[in-house]
Amino acid sequence: MSVVLSSRARPESDQFAANQAAHAELARDLGEQLERSRAGGGPKAADRHVSRGKLLPHERVERLLDSGSPFLELSPLAAHGLYDDQAPGAGIITGIGRVSGREVVIVANDATVKGGTYFPMTVKKHLRAQEIALENRLPCVYLVDSGGAFLPMQDEVFPDKTHFGRIFFNQATMSAEGIPQVAVVMGSCTAGGAYVPAMSDETVIVREQGTIFLGGPPLVKAATGEEVTAEELGGGELHSRRSGVTDHLAGDDLEALETVRSIIATLGPREPVPWERAPTEQPAVDPAELTGAVPTDTRAPYDPRELLARIVDGSRFHEFKELYGETLVCGFARVHGHPVGVVANNGVLFSESALKAAHFIELCDQRSVPLLFLQNISGFMVGRDYEAGGIARDGAKMVAAVSCARVPKLTVIIGGSYGAGNYGMCGRAYGPRFLWMWPNARISVMGGEQAATVLSTVASDRDPEELEALKERTRAKYESEGHPYHSTARLWDDGVIEPGSTRDVVGLALSACANAPLGPIRRPVYRM
Amino acid sequence: MFSAVLVANRGEIAVRVIRTLQRLGIRSVAVCSEADAGAPHVRMADSALTIGPAPAAESYLRTDAIVEAARRAGAEAIHPGYGFLSERASFARACAGAGLVFVGPPPEATEKLGDKVAAKLLAADAGVPTVPGIERPGLTDEGIVSWAADAEDRFPLMVKAAAGGGGRGMRIVRSAGELPDALAAARREAKAGFGDDALLAERYVERARHVEVQLLADAHGAAVHLGERECSLQRRHQKLIEESPSPAVSPGLRERMGQAAVALARSAGYEGAGTCEFLLDGEEFFFLELNARLQVEHPVTELVCGLDLVEAQLRIAAGEPLWFTQEGVSMNGHAIEARVCAEDAEQGFLPGAGRVVALHEPSGPGVRVDSGIERGSEVTTHYDSLLAKVIAHAPSREQALDRLDAALSHTAVLGPPVNIAFLRRLLADGDVRAGHMDIGLVERLPPAPGDPEADEQAATVAALARGLELGSGEGDPWDYLTAWRIDGPAPLRWRFEPEGGGEVVEVVGAERSARAERAGEGRLAVTLDGERRTWACARDGGLTRVGLGGRAWSFREERVALRGGSGGSGASLEAPMPGNVLAVKVGEGDEVNEGDVLVVLESMKMELQVVSPADGVVGELSVSEGDQVTRGEALVAVGPAS
Repeated sequence: MSVVLSSRARPESDQFAANQAAHAELARDLGEQLERSRAGGGPKAADRHVSRGKLLPHERVERLLDSGSPFLELSPLAAHGLYDDQAPGAGIITGIGRVSGREVVIVANDATVKGGTYFPMTVKKHLRAQEIALENRLPCVYLVDSGGAFLPMQDEVFPDKTHFGRIFFNQATMSAEGIPQVAVVMGSCTAGGAYVPAMSDETVIVREQGTIFLGGPPLVKAATGEEVTAEELGGGELHSRRSGVTDHLAGDDLEALETVRSIIATLGPREPVPWERAPTEQPAVDPAELTGAVPTDTRAPYDPRELLARIVDGSRFHEFKELYGETLVCGFARVHGHPVGVVANNGVLFSESALKAAHFIELCDQRSVPLLFLQNISGFMVGRDYEAGGIARDGAKMVAAVSCARVPKLTVIIGGSYGAGNYGMCGRAYGPRFLWMWPNARISVMGGEQAATVLSTVASDRDPEELEALKERTRAKYESEGHPYHSTARLWDDGVIEPGSTRDVVGLALSACANAPLGPIRRPVYRM
Repeated sequence: MFSAVLVANRGEIAVRVIRTLQRLGIRSVAVCSEADAGAPHVRMADSALTIGPAPAAESYLRTDAIVEAARRAGAEAIHPGYGFLSERASFARACAGAGLVFVGPPPEATEKLGDKVAAKLLAADAGVPTVPGIERPGLTDEGIVSWAADAEDRFPLMVKAAAGGGGRGMRIVRSAGELPDALAAARREAKAGFGDDALLAERYVERARHVEVQLLADAHGAAVHLGERECSLQRRHQKLIEESPSPAVSPGLRERMGQAAVALARSAGYEGAGTCEFLLDGEEFFFLELNARLQVEHPVTELVCGLDLVEAQLRIAAGEPLWFTQEGVSMNGHAIEARVCAEDAEQGFLPGAGRVVALHEPSGPGVRVDSGIERGSEVTTHYDSLLAKVIAHAPSREQALDRLDAALSHTAVLGPPVNIAFLRRLLADGDVRAGHMDIGLVERLPPAPGDPEADEQAATVAALARGLELGSGEGDPWDYLTAWRIDGPAPLRWRFEPEGGGEVVEVVGAERSARAERAGEGRLAVTLDGERRTWACARDGGLTRVGLGGRAWSFREERVALRGGSGGSGASLEAPMPGNVLAVKVGEGDEVNEGDVLVVLESMKMELQVVSPADGVVGELSVSEGDQVTRGEALVAVGPAS
């Protein structure tokens, strides 16, 4: 029983204008942060880079893409506020773009940022891009221009399971899964970095620019006394003619990127879309009014249908169990033609809401409909009656259903993301194929105010002034650590997006998800 | 009057004849080659028959097939249009033999007039002045050479095919030395074009005007002229722009030329519509030929005289007497016609081909378009390059020129190369505006100056068109969310290579304030720097074609060329296998081209050629003949040319 949603927002109201102004301010700030991040290592480093005949990393990505292709950039604000802000974007660009008609994951080092070396977040961002490639079966293109690990932090990038070595592990295992790995050596590929091209299925190198070696000229001199130039040691001529490490020799960046396009063109067709896509329809309710219709304050509750009306095709929504567990809105819709099962918070999670969610998630899984979680959740209901009613058991059903769904899950945190609410609503730990945050969102184990109260209760033996200071410190800490920039800096999400981008981001991501086939389902829909 | 008429032609003239047949309530029958099966004339006619494959010799020139088609379709008469079989007496005879009326002069008249030699003798007998020359049956090359040598002022002279016209088989010769080659070429073309290599030679009048008189003669001995047309604007002896009246013809001269033409028609026993062509040199005129057909440029006469010449042809062919006298002919205002042809005017008027991917024809008061194409038409080199005629009629010559230019500016044919921009340049020429024309004017016109600003605008419009196209998909969001970025669309960037070569133009979306929206089929309303104009626009395979004001541009999206791994390395070439140096083909410092053999090795009973990987200069040569080399040993270095 699909209905066309309408809006209760009143564009002439003060609240509407205030909402718009608050969102605009957040968007302005986000734009500023993105711009800073895009500047990479700054104008001097960029000039030096360009003077060597190299294209800047953003330029490389642009030139690699098909004309007019979208580029779904991932975590552009990674490492924001970390490492004394020495590594804007973590010194690496990752994202999904279309190359020779195929959606591919692109990983491009930014050599203007500390020579493209890997900080901890660089490694995490690189690995996350590979994870996205694996889950969605997207070919990988690595535009390599990196000096390897950032040595001052070697203990945080080198040895652990999800550190530098995992990059090559992923290349091998993805290649084994039939996910093509293509690398272009556009600058240094030193030490461990040498394995990125070496582990790829097909590799291009730029003459007199790209180099691959396990030990660079200074190390060779130190080790054996041999004096050798970088080009002689590991240049394009050497690797294309003698060592065979690279397969194609290009005259410059442009030719190298075109060679990649030519390689991607040989990959053959992608997997068929595992669900039915309908022609796209614009929302019937004006998406431009979204920021006026929803507040920025995570404590101000609002009906998620105000958002749905502005992001789903034709504003059409087939709601499930509308009258049951009303603090959670579930239903079927389409975004850019792709079917989605929407799970959106409309208040605190009660037992009924959790049961409804578990039921609906299983339904979507059975019907091969991707899930879209819209998180705005302070948590599960607490209190004697609820515990006695078994809310933990019902919450567990929801968490289990979320964990085990085989359909792609996408999560957008549009408000609060607190506690077990984050879990039930498919937080990062539940393997959503993509997760984004709005600039007004907050994420933490509980709200700052609650944490302050809990802590001050635990420490109630101290004097009131000290307690107030503790509460204040706690509130400030939670505000800062729960902020989207804090989250995105640490790759807890795949990026901070403006509310107005949600529809397109979700649509592009769904199309990307559609590259991976769905496995069989072996479970009935349990009525909860 | 006839109840059904077959039109033995194609293109604009077939369409034009059918239009009159429709107006007169006569059933129209079209014929077509296989290549023209979906052509406008075919679809416009009441019925149509396919008469053979694309080449004209196997279709539109096949008398038997056309007569058979007329019989099958129940046509009573055949209108031949111009060209093809229109001036073949044998065709007229075949029609008569099959009981069909041929809409044209009797074959005897055509024969008399079709042979230029005989026609000239006939003209002289009728007292019509002719150009001095030599003309007789069986005239040999030697005969022409000796005639050319027998007087001082023979050069420049012209040799041309005794049969046919239209510039084929014509050569202007300025000295005795050029004559033998010109004769050979003219005979070849005459043979190929008309199946008859007979030639004639005559004085070539420089700076002469081409002025012709339209005639109508009935089967009952009445004949009138309909004034003149000036057709001096020609390229390669083929007319481009024609007008009526001629700015060079006074009423007295008109009367003298008209009477001469009528006298000749009468003496030849002519019937139907015909055209007597003259060279005009001041007030002196010389008979050139009498064309026994409807001319391409007949519409200017129709507009000025208020007559339908096709209707007149049909009525005369049906035996009706002329329904007006010479006194009844009045000329009203001025009409000018421009021929829109599929040719590259800036490349020696080379004919071109292609599918018409966008077509916009002008309309409005005093504007007539006789067109034989539509969007989707395939223009081939099998047939004449004429696509359409744009004709303007106005009270004065100046107004007619302005009106024609405006009409051409609203004409767009995207696909094959067309000459519209050239026609407009011609119309804007000072001598043309002043009426000071001669048959050499077109070829003296300097080449079009480059217009980098217009080229850049066109590239911008092509980019806008591509952008709109990308954003219009209904499919996947990856198809239509054009240049989507997380924080707003990226500027679209295009690298365009002009069709046929030229510098690559890079267009980046944000660099100009430019907007575009679709404005109907094949049109784009483009606002560039605040000015809004409607461009023609279409995709043609990998090309984006745009047009404005009669000009057209085509761009191919250029991506980076892949040179492979070998381009300009400067590295040493090494022996691919161990062996003996059989030969060293170059020395140090030699310039070599890509692919040149540098060294030849013998190895494993094979001769191996070591070739230069690029253009360059031979650097160090490490081996000489007879040397033994091992695998990987440096042989020779090729460096970049300094």
